[in-house]
Amino acid sequence: MKVAVIQFPGSNCDQDAVWALKLVGLEAELVWHTEKNLEGFQAAILPGGFSYGDYLRAGALAKFSPVMAEVRRLAQRGNPVVGICNGFQVLTEAGLLPGALLANTNLHFTCKDVYLRVERTDLPFTTGYQPGQVLKIPIAHGEGRYYSDAETLERLEQNRQVVFRYAPPPSSAEGEADGYNPNGSLNDIAGIVNEQGNVLGMMPHPERAVEGLLGYADGLPFFTSLKQALEAVGA
Amino acid sequence: MKYHITLLIELKDGILDPQGRAVEGVLQGLQFKAQNVRVGRVLEMEVEAGSEADASAMAHNIGKALANPVMEVFVVEAVKELA
Repeated sequence: MKVAVIQFPGSNCDQDAVWALKLVGLEAELVWHTEKNLEGFQAAILPGGFSYGDYLRAGALAKFSPVMAEVRRLAQRGNPVVGICNGFQVLTEAGLLPGALLANTNLHFTCKDVYLRVERTDLPFTTGYQPGQVLKIPIAHGEGRYYSDAETLERLEQNRQVVFRYAPPPSSAEGEADGYNPNGSLNDIAGIVNEQGNVLGMMPHPERAVEGLLGYADGLPFFTSLKQALEAVGA
Repeated sequence: MKYHITLLIELKDGILDPQGRAVEGVLQGLQFKAQNVRVGRVLEMEVEAGSEADASAMAHNIGKALANPVMEVFVVEAVKELA
């Protein structure tokens, strides 16, 4: 079971993604963005960072990278494709996920822990979670405000394509319930999937929360779920 | 022939532009009575084309490739033949 972690010029969470995948026992390989063949890979992760320096718009230039045709092919074949942070921005720019990520309402690059409510536990990325479980996962972005037109938003909600939503902390002792949405995302959206459920984009970083040593491990089930899903297909 | 293209990319009407809002606040502080400030981008480039119509068509296609239709609109502001 081999997962490609796509490296764009300016990616900087690529090694973390490889680490998290290997931690759960998946094979992971860095793939440079000029690669034109993803044969032999069962899934792909587009990691966080600042592809092409975020020039023009976050993710806007990375969508033209040669490897994206292969990422699209994997997605169309139903293989898991994940975009984390900048990777989410690339997936929306490439049209593999609906909507767009705009500048945070407060204009700050926001780097902190947030809480996410898990809305779907039937996906290749979320079977390891409980329905409604609240996770503590870090974010680090300047353009994470999920936006789509009203019609698309309604469709997303109707199809249950919202996977993670920003939520108040589970106990009030851990912080204020107000202002838990860190960027002004519509409907508190932190992560979505496509209609088929195999392409997921999320602004928070599960790969940065996989070991107790890092302070929390709420991101680990994301990767164990992916491993299980890939093994189920491969079996 | 060589043409100079000026392309504007702007956020769609109705989409919150926090950058524009920050600029507006500063302008108000400077006593300029500016309202509804929006911040966009200007792209300038030179292209080879057979005619001005071809250059315009190319400018349009470049705008389509670079603007994100979910949140932006683009305007081909000018196409000028270079001497």
